[in-house]
Amino acid sequence: MEVETEKSILEFPYWTAFKRRFCADSSFFASGNLERELLAKQVALDITEDEKHQIQNMEQEENREVFCPIVGCGARLKSLEVFEDHYHARHTASCSVCSRVYPTSRLLSIHVSEAHDSFFQAKVARGHAMYECLVEGCGSKLKAYKSRQQHLVDKHNFPTSFEFFKKARPSKKQRQKNQRKQAAHKGEESSNAMDVEVIDSLVSGVSKLSTSDSPSSISFGHRNTRGFAFVPRSVHR
Amino acid sequence: MSDDTVVSHRRDPIQSSVGSVAANRRRQQAVTIAKERREALVRTKRLCRVGTSGDGNGDGDGDMMIDEERSILEAQTSSAVEELKSAVAYQGKGVMQKRVNALRELRRILSRSEFPPVEAALKAGAVPLLVQCLSFGSPDEQLLEAAWCLTNIAAGKPEETKSLLPALPLLIAHLGEKSSLPVAEQCAWALGNVAGEGEELRNVLLSQGALLPLARMMLPNKGSTVRTAAWALSNLIKGPSPKAATELIKIDGVLDAVLQHLRKADEELATEIAWVIVYLSALSNTATNILVQSDLLQLLVERLATSNSLQLLIPVLRTLGNLVAGETQATPVVLVAGNEIAGNDFSDNVISALIKCLKSEHRVLKKESAWVLSNMAAGSVELKRLIFSSEAIPVLLQLLSTAPIDIKKEVAYVLGNLSVTSTEGREKPNLILDNLVSLVGRGCLPGFIDLVKSVDTEAARLGLQFIELVLRGMPNGEGPKLVRREDGIDAMERFQFHENGELRNMANGLVDKDLNIKSSS
Repeated sequence: MEVETEKSILEFPYWTAFKRRFCADSSFFASGNLERELLAKQVALDITEDEKHQIQNMEQEENREVFCPIVGCGARLKSLEVFEDHYHARHTASCSVCSRVYPTSRLLSIHVSEAHDSFFQAKVARGHAMYECLVEGCGSKLKAYKSRQQHLVDKHNFPTSFEFFKKARPSKKQRQKNQRKQAAHKGEESSNAMDVEVIDSLVSGVSKLSTSDSPSSISFGHRNTRGFAFVPRSVHR
Repeated sequence: MSDDTVVSHRRDPIQSSVGSVAANRRRQQAVTIAKERREALVRTKRLCRVGTSGDGNGDGDGDMMIDEERSILEAQTSSAVEELKSAVAYQGKGVMQKRVNALRELRRILSRSEFPPVEAALKAGAVPLLVQCLSFGSPDEQLLEAAWCLTNIAAGKPEETKSLLPALPLLIAHLGEKSSLPVAEQCAWALGNVAGEGEELRNVLLSQGALLPLARMMLPNKGSTVRTAAWALSNLIKGPSPKAATELIKIDGVLDAVLQHLRKADEELATEIAWVIVYLSALSNTATNILVQSDLLQLLVERLATSNSLQLLIPVLRTLGNLVAGETQATPVVLVAGNEIAGNDFSDNVISALIKCLKSEHRVLKKESAWVLSNMAAGSVELKRLIFSSEAIPVLLQLLSTAPIDIKKEVAYVLGNLSVTSTEGREKPNLILDNLVSLVGRGCLPGFIDLVKSVDTEAARLGLQFIELVLRGMPNGEGPKLVRREDGIDAMERFQFHENGELRNMANGLVDKDLNIKSSS
């Protein structure tokens, strides 16, 4: 195939020094790209039993797998370090007013509005639907705490014993007082009487929209004044 | 190290504190995950789709399976999907556990070998079920298993990867900053597989907003999540459209994160980051402009000089090459460096690092480093001088005689560029006589004449061009003598009846010239 240009007949194409540039997908880069292309898709494989044992042998006590103790979470984390990341990301949003801890910032936000915001209460008093459904993405708003509760049970299969806002534990005197009070006002909350949940039964009920297999009393939000006092252990399912 | 995320502060600011004293204590106590262990896990998880040598897995590759085994596996797959179907539909007691178990079973089947039974899974209707399992509010374990299944489905053939389309928005959503890291990572992995499939799917992902959350996952953080995110991101921005690359560099924090990882990260993470940078620099002028103004170059040269990992060196070298090749007055890379005393140090470092690559045993490194040198040799007089006086020349001469043809060509470019002044191609360049004489004196001519004999057109062209320089430039009319001595005439005469017109004319012209000169000596 003859490719003749006038120029080449007339004049020799002298050596000229110039920069040569290639496109990203030029064949010039083909061999360099080859190994990369092989990695374009990667399969996530299981480790074999042998490898599992090898890995376990290499591990020390502190690096054993842990289950997140937050009831309803139960995430399996590779090690304490990973667990901490998980916990920080997932379960630490705490209220600056009452120190309750929530598993997501959204829920924290809802708590703050409902428990500490008088503007919120004012709107409620005027009949606005202010109580948001706890399930992100649902978008429903109800006019009262109780009706929101019902909505969760009816629409989202929450257990009937679910309580978004559990009161803090008062002093012994206060407790006795409350016991008498509670008999009279069953289920009514007042933002003054606070119950603190025992840390061991930390919950994140919302992340686990399940039915009756959940623990019989799920409460939501607790006072976290002491930080990590518990030791991670398996979740009781 | 803070994982604090910013949430819209509607009311009170959010504290995130979990007794930092206790946490620190645990951190001190906790043994850092042994690198070997991590690598063992990661290596196993990341076997290439195109089989590597067996990993001791009993089931082996799908290819090697006999038909009977294959159909058993397919039957298992179908029944696992059926099980999942009923688990998803189930409403009663223990539903969460049931779902996770079904997912896990399917995931195991899809993870046993390098060639999972994807087709069977798809035929049984796995994807819609998996999509349901990704719904918001699902427990982490469920999300993880579902994303894992989807990851391996997406690692299959193109049509199989495409089947993930309904799952994409959810996978993207679970990249969010409040997702647990393993879930986010697994989703990134799946998305990386999808993006790696091709341009079409890449565009879908981009239009669905995958870029931003993935970019955020690359910000300095602990763990393997960053690496997976970087890998997925590199697949997402690889073009050919420059849009994604341009968008990426503009995202807040990305430039700093990329540089920091390139500076400090282990080689595996640095490799993924380096590929991101390759695409940024190759595709987007905006990105290139931003990158050259940072200390990227020093970081590249450092990595080039200190690393021995081929996987890392390739993209680092590639980026350097792209930047040097695209260099202009406005975006100086090594140009400026060759002009100042202080700058010479940098150029020296670059050249040393490139020499290291030239000496490597890896073909790609030799070829591409020679390419970079050739572009530098097309630069200023200073740069030429620096290269010429460095250790590069002996190495290049060696390569010219012994290396494969593609490397030889690059070397030829270097030597030829060193022998002429750099013009912008408008005028006929002048010879740099000292260099030419030196090179010829050191025995480069036979190598060029060999090129003339090559079947490769480009190689032949280069050879002829260099011979012309020799004929023209060698003092005392030595040129023709030297050429003849190395059987140059013979080589050129092969083109007398060559089908390539240009080469024919070139060769004939030289031979004529030579004969003319000969008559006068």
